[in-house]
Amino acid sequence: MRRKPAETARHLVALSRRSTLAIFRQPALVGPSLIFPLFFAALGSSAFSRAISLPGFPAVDSYLQFTLAGTVTQGVLFGSVTGAAALATDIQDGFFDRLLAAPTSRTSILFGRLAGSSLFGAMQALVFLLVLWPFGVTVQAGILGYVSIVVGGFLTAFAVGALMSVVALKTGSAEAVQGTFPVLFILLFLSSAFFPRETMSGAYRRIADLNPISYMVEGQRSLSIDGLSLTAMAQTLAIPTGIAILTTLLALRQLQARLANR
Amino acid sequence: MSTQRTVGILTKRSIRNIRRLPSAFFPALAMPIFNMIVFAGTFFAVTKIPGFPTDRSINWYMPLGIMMGAAFGGVGLGFTAIRDIETGFYDRLRMTPTSRMSLVVGPLVGMLVRIVMTTTIVIVLGIALGARFTGGVLGVLCLYAAALGLSTIGAGWGLGLAFRFKDMRGAAIMQLSIFLVMFLSSAQVPLNVMSGWLHTVARFNPATNILRLARVGLVNESSPDHLAWNSVWGGLLAIALMSALTLGFAVRSLQKLGD
Repeated sequence: MRRKPAETARHLVALSRRSTLAIFRQPALVGPSLIFPLFFAALGSSAFSRAISLPGFPAVDSYLQFTLAGTVTQGVLFGSVTGAAALATDIQDGFFDRLLAAPTSRTSILFGRLAGSSLFGAMQALVFLLVLWPFGVTVQAGILGYVSIVVGGFLTAFAVGALMSVVALKTGSAEAVQGTFPVLFILLFLSSAFFPRETMSGAYRRIADLNPISYMVEGQRSLSIDGLSLTAMAQTLAIPTGIAILTTLLALRQLQARLANR
Repeated sequence: MSTQRTVGILTKRSIRNIRRLPSAFFPALAMPIFNMIVFAGTFFAVTKIPGFPTDRSINWYMPLGIMMGAAFGGVGLGFTAIRDIETGFYDRLRMTPTSRMSLVVGPLVGMLVRIVMTTTIVIVLGIALGARFTGGVLGVLCLYAAALGLSTIGAGWGLGLAFRFKDMRGAAIMQLSIFLVMFLSSAQVPLNVMSGWLHTVARFNPATNILRLARVGLVNESSPDHLAWNSVWGGLLAIALMSALTLGFAVRSLQKLGD
């Protein structure tokens, strides 16, 4: 059934609004993805305060300044699981089927959920920037740098949310989506989110070199520490965009497979 | 039925669950391995900070992985107790003519056996990845003692909370409290390397003493902590006191379970 673009847009707006409100109405679900990254940042600032003088570390005033990008990425990665878990819950409790029974645009069901996660990702990035600002953590690239990091948070949440939606659509289980959380944790740790790649060694260094999260974090870090540059902007925005395109295609394919199996 | 016999039966049940519920055992094994590898890899360079007591990051973070596994393995007993309470298994146990103490000691012994298994596997893997026991057999024994002690503390805390809350609310508190106690200690770097608020908190955190005990056989021979009685007794005392407190909490909570 072909729908008018205006009709699809109306469905998308309604479902986006629903998913966004659902995220903000569940502080117990979203709270940890805001609190834990800040806790780790505070922990690191005390534990690794002397590490910033090690060879391979960029010239920073504090470890907190160095870890800003890692904190933003960590929070956004963990928060983006929430939207996909909600999509799986929709499948589990039958709301997904009720949407399908109605003349709802199929893709807006997926993109509505992703919109909620992405807006939350952008908000998380903004919260981290604002909370760390009184502690002297600023973005040297200025307003364009702040905007890039917030938009980067939006795109990263979209990319990871789409990837997690593949699991949600495939399994229809919120537990299975939550179960993939350790994979994100591993990917984050196998990157330069917490220490520079230059300080790593051997196989671990090679894995961090291959991990796109390293380059994404380093783009944000460069905006924060060095100032505005085209390379840093491209790393901050283009890498999550590229991943988002890939994971969205996968999610759409999985959506089609689920619809075909009904 | 004698207390010893009940303890034996409940211990066997706890060990048998490794085979019956591998999905519960493997995360408990994967977690210390993962922690050891990612911390040693990510913070590879911290050993170059002046005053760091070892020049191998794996020597510092292998005990951390084991201790995290032991602590969470201990509170995991609380998760099992919650499941048993929710399914009614505990009600059936309490109707049998067994001592209340055996309902705590039986699963505890089973858990300690599991901790010995995971600790051994992580040590073997750690050695394969480059860890070296500078303190020889005594160092290995200190690491096992710290792991078993911390898991006992975790088990007492987990069981106590499980008997108090009787549902998954207790599980959230178990995980969060153990997480905080472990990270607000010398988990990541030694006291002499950290600064600010964390240094103050870690100094008074008993987990710091237990971690020091775990690491006495892995730090450089030139380090003042190397097989030093000063580094051992604090850990043993912390284990004894905290175990007594948390196990007492578990037994008292079990007695109030039916109220």
